[in-house]
This record gives sequence, structure tokens and C-alpha cells, in this order.
Amino acid sequence: MGLHLNLSLHKLPLTIAGLAFLAASSIANAGQSELGPKVTIPETSGEQCVLPAAEMRRRHPDLLKHDRIQTLREGLRAEKDGSPLAGSLKQCVNCHAIKSEDKYVRIDNDEHFCVSCHKYAAVSIDCFQCHRDIPEGSGNFHALTGSKQHYSNQVPGTYSLTIKDVANISPEVNSDDK
Amino acid sequence: MTNNFDEKLSESQDSEQAVESSRRNFIFGSVAAAGLTVAPGMMLYQTANARSLSDFSLNEKASSQVRWGMLVDTTKQVDWNKCVDACNKEHGLNNETHSRDDQKTQYIRVVDVKNKTTGYSMSLPVMCQHCESAPCVDVCPTGASMKRADGIVLVDRHRCIGCRYCMMACPYKARSFVHEVLTDQTENTPRGKGCVESCNMCVTRIDNGQLPACVEASEGAIIFGDLNDPQSDISQLLAKHGGKQIRADLKLNPGVHYQGI
Repeated sequence: MGLHLNLSLHKLPLTIAGLAFLAASSIANAGQSELGPKVTIPETSGEQCVLPAAEMRRRHPDLLKHDRIQTLREGLRAEKDGSPLAGSLKQCVNCHAIKSEDKYVRIDNDEHFCVSCHKYAAVSIDCFQCHRDIPEGSGNFHALTGSKQHYSNQVPGTYSLTIKDVANISPEVNSDDK
Repeated sequence: MTNNFDEKLSESQDSEQAVESSRRNFIFGSVAAAGLTVAPGMMLYQTANARSLSDFSLNEKASSQVRWGMLVDTTKQVDWNKCVDACNKEHGLNNETHSRDDQKTQYIRVVDVKNKTTGYSMSLPVMCQHCESAPCVDVCPTGASMKRADGIVLVDRHRCIGCRYCMMACPYKARSFVHEVLTDQTENTPRGKGCVESCNMCVTRIDNGQLPACVEASEGAIIFGDLNDPQSDISQLLAKHGGKQIRADLKLNPGVHYQGI
């Protein structure tokens, strides 16, 4: 015990010198922010998200989970005023899609908005195994516009008959099994 | 700090009070209606206007007062493959690259039947029949296979574990399983490996006041509407001409009816 103490006392000046060196070097590097992994949160097209950014970082899983039950199981796809639900993944993607060289960045790219942070936090998400990872034609509207007419599911290539058009198609049925 | 999320939770409490008041209105309303019936006889039935799809909006929950259904007229000489194509386009189907043909997802199958003695042949589209008492919903161990309040049967892929029990239970062979990683899905139909899927009557389109894709492509051979509303086109046609359900003996009460089979 005594010997051990003596030894460590002997090395004490060296240890202090070492610590001082480490501290000095870390202070020197702090300005360049080279230490540790970095996360860059890409800029988005919208002005404001459904919650303040700090809240959003913490609570976006709750929002998504809450509204996915409303949307899928209960058939509620918009707020009372007609604006899209706060936790609409479609809306998230429409605002937060990142473009690189005029093409939307897909989920397998580290620059994708969700991936950029989730990779940093080492939290794997499986939303985009099923959900579309980039906007689909209808990406021109924004969550803050809050009008139902912007919330159209019309996409290029789909059928565009309206209810009125269909009403003009005569529902006459000639059937022989009376 | 109050925010949207908290407001939403408190809204659900408000909506309970709203239900209370609407119930009160309903009672008053029905008293008035009863008065009407006494005076002009049959008027009550006629004053109830047919509700159309456009009366429903995105910000309303699916209502159990509605039961969406389809009436397929097989006597009309329609190329059912047009409906299949429209369905594939709408839901982004047929994008598997590794699956065998019999593994690929199909929401609508065109079934050809032939009577060997008479030689009479016909074809009909068979999709999820949206049963009232759906076997797929009964057997699902996770509650993923579900029936919405308005009678639409669909898969909640958030809960589906891909056990395929529902595929075994379905007497109409309406369900498919995704065997491979998919990319480039459509916005309205998220679909991916390891989940069972089937026709969802284009539920996003319905919620948006649009008709299902196959109905639009069918040139009037498929009628879509509310089976609970006696004034709707589909109910009137069924009342006038009748219709058949496939395997009606199973007493599952499918929402899809056929004429000419």
C-alpha cells in the first residue's frame, strides 16, 4: 500500500502535465468543432413546423403515433378546420424533403432529412419500409395553408373524375336475375 | 406549455360534450319529424335526402351509420382488366421484381367461369368483399386486420406481423403477402415487405370524397355507395333488381354484391 502511494506520488507531476496538455488541445479544437460526430439539420421549405423545433425533436414520435391511429383506424384525416393533421407523415415528407441536384433525396441517402438525425442518434426507423420517402406530385402545398383544397390526393396519372362526372354516368342496370 | 398536441387531447373531451348536445338535437329533431309524419303520411321517407360521397369530409371520422358497398354488374360487357389496371396504378401495385407471378400482390382478380354443360362463360372481378363479419378480422392475432366503422375492411400495417393467418381464413382469396423489399410506393398506399394487404376500397379516396379507382374505370359497371341509405343508387338498384353475394351461404354478409352471376 505504502509503496503504491509512493509510486503514484512520484508520477504526479507527469500526470498533471499530461492533463494540462489534453485540456489545452481540446480547448484549441473546440473552435473548429472537429470533435465527435456532427449532425446537420437540413433547411426546409416551410416557415414553421406544427410545434416549435425543440418540442418537435422530442415529441414527433408521439404525434406520428397518435395521428396514425386516428387516420387509419378512425378515418380522420384532417383537423376540424380542414388542415392536415399535425402528425401526418405525408406532410412531414412534403415539407422536409431535401433536394440534391434537382432530385429528391431518397431514404437510402444520409442526406435525407429523417436519416440525417436518426443516423446520428443511432435510432433506426422503419416508417419508410412502407411509406413513401419523397413527395409525390402533390408537394406544392404546405401544412400552414390550412385549406382543404390544397389537401388533394390528385396525383399525376391517377383518375380525375369528380363526383359530378360520375353522377352523369347512368346507373341503369339490365339484369336477368330478378 | 400548451401546444397543438395537448389541445388535441383536450378536444377529445370537448367532443364528448359535443356528442351530448348533438344527441339532444337528434331527440328534438326526431320529435319534429314524428310530427311531420302524422300530417302528410309518407313524407318522412322522402325528406331524407340521399347522402353522397362529397358530403363526407376529411375531418370527419368514419361513421357507423354508413356502410360502403359495391355492386358489380357482370352482364355489362366491360373489360375488367381496365379496373385491375386502374387499381394497380392507384395503389402502385405490380412493382415486385423478385416475386413469382403467384406471389405478386393483386387487389382485384379477374375470375373466368364456364358452365361446361351449356358452354356459357363469363368473367367477374373478385376483390376483398368487405364482409360484415369478416373472418380475417376474427383470426388476426394482433388486431391489424380490422373493419372500419363504415364497413371497410383493411390492414393496419403498423400492427401486422405477417403471420398470414388472415390469408388462410379468407374464403375469397382476397389477400396477398409482400415477399420483398419495395420502393417507390404511392403516397396514399404505404406497402412493404412482411405485411399482408388487400383491397381497401380506396379508403383514402373515399375519405377525400372520391370514388374508388376501379369504380371510375368500370364505365358504370361497378356502382359504389352507401348500403345503409335506402335512397342511394346502390340500394335502389339492389332493391329493384336484386343482387348476389359470392358464397352467401357463409353468412358473412359481404359489402360487394354482384348482378348476373
